[in-house]
Amino acid sequence: MIVMNGVSKVFRTDIVETHALRDFSIEVKPGEFVAITGHSGSGKTTFLNVAGLLEEFDRGTYHLDGQDVSRLTDNERSRIRNERIGFIFQGSNLIPDLNIYDNVDAPLHYRRMPAAERHKRITAALERVGLTSRMKHLPSQLSGGQQQRAAIARAICGSPRVILADEPTGNLDTTMSDQIMDLLQSINADGTTILMVTHNPELAQRAHRQVHIVDGRVDQIHHFDSGQRASAAAGANA
Amino acid sequence: MLLHDIRLALRSLKRNPILSLLMIVTIGVGIAASMIAMTVYSARAGHPIPWKEDVLFAVTMDTRENEPPPPGMPLRNFEYPPFTLAYQDAVAAYRSDIPRRSVMMYRSGQLVTPERANIKPFHVPVRVTTADFFAMFDVPFRYGGGWSRAADTTAEPVVVISKYLNDKLFGGANSLGREITLGGRQFKIIGVLDAWMPHPRFYDLSGGGFDLPEDAFLPFEWVRAGRIFPQSINCVRRTARVVNFESLFTEECLWLQYWVELPDSAAHARFQQYVDNYVRDQQQRGRMPRPLNNRIVNVSTWLEMNNVVGDDTRMQVMVAVAFLVVCVLNTVGLILAKFLSAAPIAGLRRALGATRLDIVRQHLTEVVIMGLIGGALGLFLSFGGLRLLYALIFARGLESSDNPARLTLAQSFTHMDFPMLLLAVALSVLTGILAGIYPAWRIGRLTPATFLKTQ
Repeated sequence: MIVMNGVSKVFRTDIVETHALRDFSIEVKPGEFVAITGHSGSGKTTFLNVAGLLEEFDRGTYHLDGQDVSRLTDNERSRIRNERIGFIFQGSNLIPDLNIYDNVDAPLHYRRMPAAERHKRITAALERVGLTSRMKHLPSQLSGGQQQRAAIARAICGSPRVILADEPTGNLDTTMSDQIMDLLQSINADGTTILMVTHNPELAQRAHRQVHIVDGRVDQIHHFDSGQRASAAAGANA
Repeated sequence: MLLHDIRLALRSLKRNPILSLLMIVTIGVGIAASMIAMTVYSARAGHPIPWKEDVLFAVTMDTRENEPPPPGMPLRNFEYPPFTLAYQDAVAAYRSDIPRRSVMMYRSGQLVTPERANIKPFHVPVRVTTADFFAMFDVPFRYGGGWSRAADTTAEPVVVISKYLNDKLFGGANSLGREITLGGRQFKIIGVLDAWMPHPRFYDLSGGGFDLPEDAFLPFEWVRAGRIFPQSINCVRRTARVVNFESLFTEECLWLQYWVELPDSAAHARFQQYVDNYVRDQQQRGRMPRPLNNRIVNVSTWLEMNNVVGDDTRMQVMVAVAFLVVCVLNTVGLILAKFLSAAPIAGLRRALGATRLDIVRQHLTEVVIMGLIGGALGLFLSFGGLRLLYALIFARGLESSDNPARLTLAQSFTHMDFPMLLLAVALSVLTGILAGIYPAWRIGRLTPATFLKTQ
C-alpha cells in the first residue's frame, strides 16, 4: 500500500536547514492501522504530509499502491489525494462558512461527481458518524467531537484507500477521543488503511502497529495483537 | 463547477464585507472616471458620415505668406493649409468637372421676420451654398428638395429650411411653396429638412464643430445678390483687407468651405493634379508664395487635421485610464491580503483534491464578480457624473434655446449608449481579472501543507 525507502525531507531557509525526515523507510500493508508516535518536531506530520502527497520529498522512493509518486505531476497528485486518500486533521479543519453537508461535499465536488451520487455518499457518511441531524449546521455550532466526526465523514465519503489522521483526538477530552477512535477502528475494520499520528500511547495501542519516530527516522516498531488492542479499547471505554 | 465557484465567491465576499466593499468601491470609482472620460471622447470621436469615407473630400490650398510659423503656434497646426478658400480659388476649383459633385459654401446669419404677429423676429444661422450640398452630404428631406445648379447663378429666391424652423413657423406642416422673410427679402420654401445632426458638423468645423446645422440654406449667388457677409473671414496675406463687400471677391481672404465628391482614387489623383496645376499657375502670377501644400482629404483626415477630438479630451481619457490602473494596483494589494488571509482554506481544498487550476479559477471567479459589482457601481457613478457634467456645461445654454435638437446635441455628450455600456461591462471583467490574476496565481502556487497546521 505505502512503501517508502530512504525518504529524506529538508526544510531550508536562508540560514538554517532542518532535516524533517532522514533516510525514512516504512511499509504499510492494505487494511493496516498504524499509529505514528514521536515527540514534537520528530517528523511525524512531515511523514504524514509526504505520505498524503501534500509535500514533496528530496530523496528516496515512495510507492503508493505500487505507483512511484515522485514522477507525478501536480494535477495527478491532486487527483490521487482526492480519490485515494482521506485526511483528518487535528483541528478538524472544516471550512467555517460552509455547513457540515457542504464541508463533506467539498472533495466530491473536485471529483466532478454527479449531484445525486454526491448526495447519496454525503448522507451515508454523515449517518455513519451520527451527524445526519446536524448536516445544516455550521462548524461553529458543533462541539469539538462533532466537528471531528464531520471531518471523518468528509474523509470517508470519497471511499479512500487510506486515511491519514494527524492527531485526530488532540483537542478532545477522553470520552470524545474514545468515540473517535471507535469510529476509526470501525472504518479500518471495513478495509480502509489508516495511518494515525498521536502523542497518546494508549490510543496508539489500539492500532495494529506503532511506529515511533525520532529525529526523522523510524526508531522503534511495536506490533499489537488483537488481545492488546481489545484491552486498550476496553480500558478506554471503561 | 462555475456555479460552485460563484457560490464560494459570494461566501468569501461576505466573509470580509468591509474589505470587499473597499475593493468594490475602488474598482467602481476607477471605472466611473474612465467611463465618463470615454463617453465624452466617444461623443467627440465619432465619424459623422462613414458610408462616404472614400468619396467625400475637403479641399484646401495653401495661400499663406511664405513665413515661419508665428511664435506659440504648434508646428502640427502650421503644417496644414488654411481650412477655407479665397473666393477666386474656390471658383477656379468649381470649374473642374472631375468631381461628381462640388460644394462651395459659407455660414452666415439672417433675421427671420415671421408672418404670425405672435412670433417676434429672430436670428437664424444661414448657409449660403451651391446646389450639390444636399446630395453630397446625404441631407434628409421631410418635404421637397434642394435647388438646381442654375438657381446658384441666378440667385433664385428659394430656400431650404430646417425641421426646427418649419416647426416654429408652420407648426410642422408641409410648408412647400410658402414664403419666408429672411434679411428683409422674401424666399419661397422649396425644401424642409428632416431631423439632421451630423456629429460633429464636419462640413464646417469653425467653432469646434459641435454645433447644429443651419436653419436656412440659400443658393450661392445670394452672396452677391443679398450682400450676405460670411460669419468668419481669414485674411492670410499681410496686404489683404476687407474694406468693402466687393473686396471679399478680390482680396486674399479666406471664407469658403470647399468639398468635392470623387468617385474613385483615379478621380482623386486627377483632381489633386488639377488643383496643383492651378496653384502653380497662380504662383507664376505672384500669388501663393509657399511650396505646394494642397490637401484633398477624406472626412477622417479632415477631423484629425481640425483636432476635433481635442488634446484635452485625449488627455482626460489618458488620466482616467491611469487612475483606473492606480485603482487596479491598489486592489491587487487588497486582494492579495484577502486571499492570503484565507490561504489555510485554499490549502485545505488542495489537500482535499483541488488542483491548482481549481484554486486559481475559484479565486478568479471571486475577483471577476467583484469587478462586475464594482462595474455596476461604476456605471451608477458614471450616470451621476455625466448628469453633473450636463448640468455644469450644457444646462444654462439650453435654457435660452427652444430648439429641441440642441438638447439632443447636449445629451449626445453625456449619454452613455449601448456600446459604452458593453464597454463598461468588459472593463469591469478586465479590471477584476487584472487585479486578481496575480493574487489568484500566488494562492494557487502555495504548497497544500503550508497552512494546514494553522487552520
